[in-house]
Amino acid sequence: MKLINHLIWRITLVFTVVMLFWSACYFVLQMKEIHDGNDEGLTNLKQEFIAKANRLPDFAEKMERETPLNLIVKEISKEEAQRVVENFKTTKVYFPTELEREEVRMLSSAFFCTQNGKYYQIQLFTSTVESDDLIENMLYLLLGLWTALILTLIIVSKIIISRANKPFYRLLSELKKFRLDNNTMVCFPETKIEEYRQLNEAVEELLTKNMEVFTEQKQFIENSSHELQTPLAVVIAKLEMLLEKCQHREEAAEIAALLNTLNRMKRMNSNLLLLSKIKNSQLPNASVVNLREVVENVLADFEDFAAYKQVTVERRGDFSPSMRMNRDLAHILFSNLIKNAIAHNEAGGKVVVSCEANAITVSNSGNQAVANVFSRYRRGGNDKDSCGLGLSIVKSIADLHKLEVAYRFEEAMHHFKIALS
Amino acid sequence: MKILIIEDEYKLLEAIEQFLLSEKFVVEKATDYSTAAQKALIYDYDCILLDISLPDGSGLKILEEMKREGKTGNVIIISAKNSLDDKVTGLDLGADDYLTKPFHLSELYARIKAVLRRKNLDGSAVFTLGNSTLSFNERLLLVNSIDLKLNRKEFDMLAFFVTNKNRLVTKEALAEHVWGDSFDLADSFDFVYSQVKNLRKKLKSSNSDIAIENVYGVGYKLTT
Repeated sequence: MKLINHLIWRITLVFTVVMLFWSACYFVLQMKEIHDGNDEGLTNLKQEFIAKANRLPDFAEKMERETPLNLIVKEISKEEAQRVVENFKTTKVYFPTELEREEVRMLSSAFFCTQNGKYYQIQLFTSTVESDDLIENMLYLLLGLWTALILTLIIVSKIIISRANKPFYRLLSELKKFRLDNNTMVCFPETKIEEYRQLNEAVEELLTKNMEVFTEQKQFIENSSHELQTPLAVVIAKLEMLLEKCQHREEAAEIAALLNTLNRMKRMNSNLLLLSKIKNSQLPNASVVNLREVVENVLADFEDFAAYKQVTVERRGDFSPSMRMNRDLAHILFSNLIKNAIAHNEAGGKVVVSCEANAITVSNSGNQAVANVFSRYRRGGNDKDSCGLGLSIVKSIADLHKLEVAYRFEEAMHHFKIALS
Repeated sequence: MKILIIEDEYKLLEAIEQFLLSEKFVVEKATDYSTAAQKALIYDYDCILLDISLPDGSGLKILEEMKREGKTGNVIIISAKNSLDDKVTGLDLGADDYLTKPFHLSELYARIKAVLRRKNLDGSAVFTLGNSTLSFNERLLLVNSIDLKLNRKEFDMLAFFVTNKNRLVTKEALAEHVWGDSFDLADSFDFVYSQVKNLRKKLKSSNSDIAIENVYGVGYKLTT
């Protein structure tokens, strides 16, 4: 769930509960107030009536005729009158004018008329239709207000929160794009909010340090393999001269073994150097390279090797994909791939190179799929002398040029597909 | 043949010097930029081995100055850097070749010989031994005046042996020279062995006087 939705959801929930409670209280109180008003009106009417009855001598006679519609007067005995308890109730009364029974608020009471010394029961009522309408209207009003408030709350808080969080989301999207090996700092969004400024500063510091360490690390690998070249050159040169002068077969074999190891070291070192150079993107001189041409050159180079390994090379597809890249790197990429395909093959196996419009696939016979083919120092089972950097270099070169390189094992063949984007 | 070695690593300089002296070269040395620039600009050499990274300046600057002075020293750059931009800049500035450290002495020698041959400073564009004649420029081997029809790699191998005649050529040096230094596979040794075997068979079947001998199983030698 998004932060903004989370916040709004929470705020809205709390506000809804609070406002529901508040509205209910308001509504109940308001209803009570209206009923109280009704009751008070009835009490006043009653008192007025009693006062009138006691003041006017002929009121009792006229009472029957003069009774207003909302009044029922009935003569009762003293005992009955004594039993009467004044009360209010909500009931239904038939209104002749309306021709129906309507809900009313009724005050029942009794009084003693001093003019004629008789006891009367009195029932005063007033229609609650108006006050019900009032309450209904009030309810609608409240509901409307309530909905409007909630909606306003959601919209306003959404706007405010998303505005306030803009620097945060901008930073987030910048960070998603950030790559340590790219060596470009993220662009920090400007903000007046203290916390976001601090966040920006903290992230910048963190990234700067990381980039420094990363660059140092890269430089270290490059420098150290670079520095190793000269001493290696010295040792190889001296040993070669020693071998030249050597008169004994056994000694010669020893020196040759040393040289062999040194050469492995040399190749490993230069591959490492190449790898870090690619990763440091220090290889300019890009030009438009016809990849098919490169592949043909590489295949020509490895012709004898394939023949020696009894591997047949098959070419498929006659497209000539080309792209802008460093020519030497293109050569290294395909020579590593093809060399790999020929070397890790079986006698009588085959290598298929297919040139499609936007991809080149190098396939070779094999027994089973290999996991993590592109990671460094991952070697095929039986060649203890290969340095295990070949495919890692392929991957790096592909990455540098935004080529997609994919491995799959299908129909007893390993397929390495280099796709142009 | 007079050669100038510009190299700041003294031990390497020494090794190269020793090696070239044994090949009857006249060797001059420089270990820093100023000496190197002075010598390169004042004297004439048949070949200059130039290390690019010198303690007090870039070897590329020496190349620039030589170019400005109109001097062609047949320069072979030897550098620990294999960065391709160095290579291009160096070759643009008139260097003849580029060799990355570490290298095999036989390879260095082949490069020097190739440069000298290109500039016709060395009358060795053709090598003759008995009934066989190898022509570097036409890339031909004639045995009793008949073209033996060697393929590209076979010729490269033979030419490398001829250039390094009477010297031990290790299998590594041969593989790197002929198939490039990216050729770093475990069974490349067996592969090289089989390729040399084929070449020897070809030479033998045509009764060529050129014979490549196997030295202690570590390399080969063409003896004149």
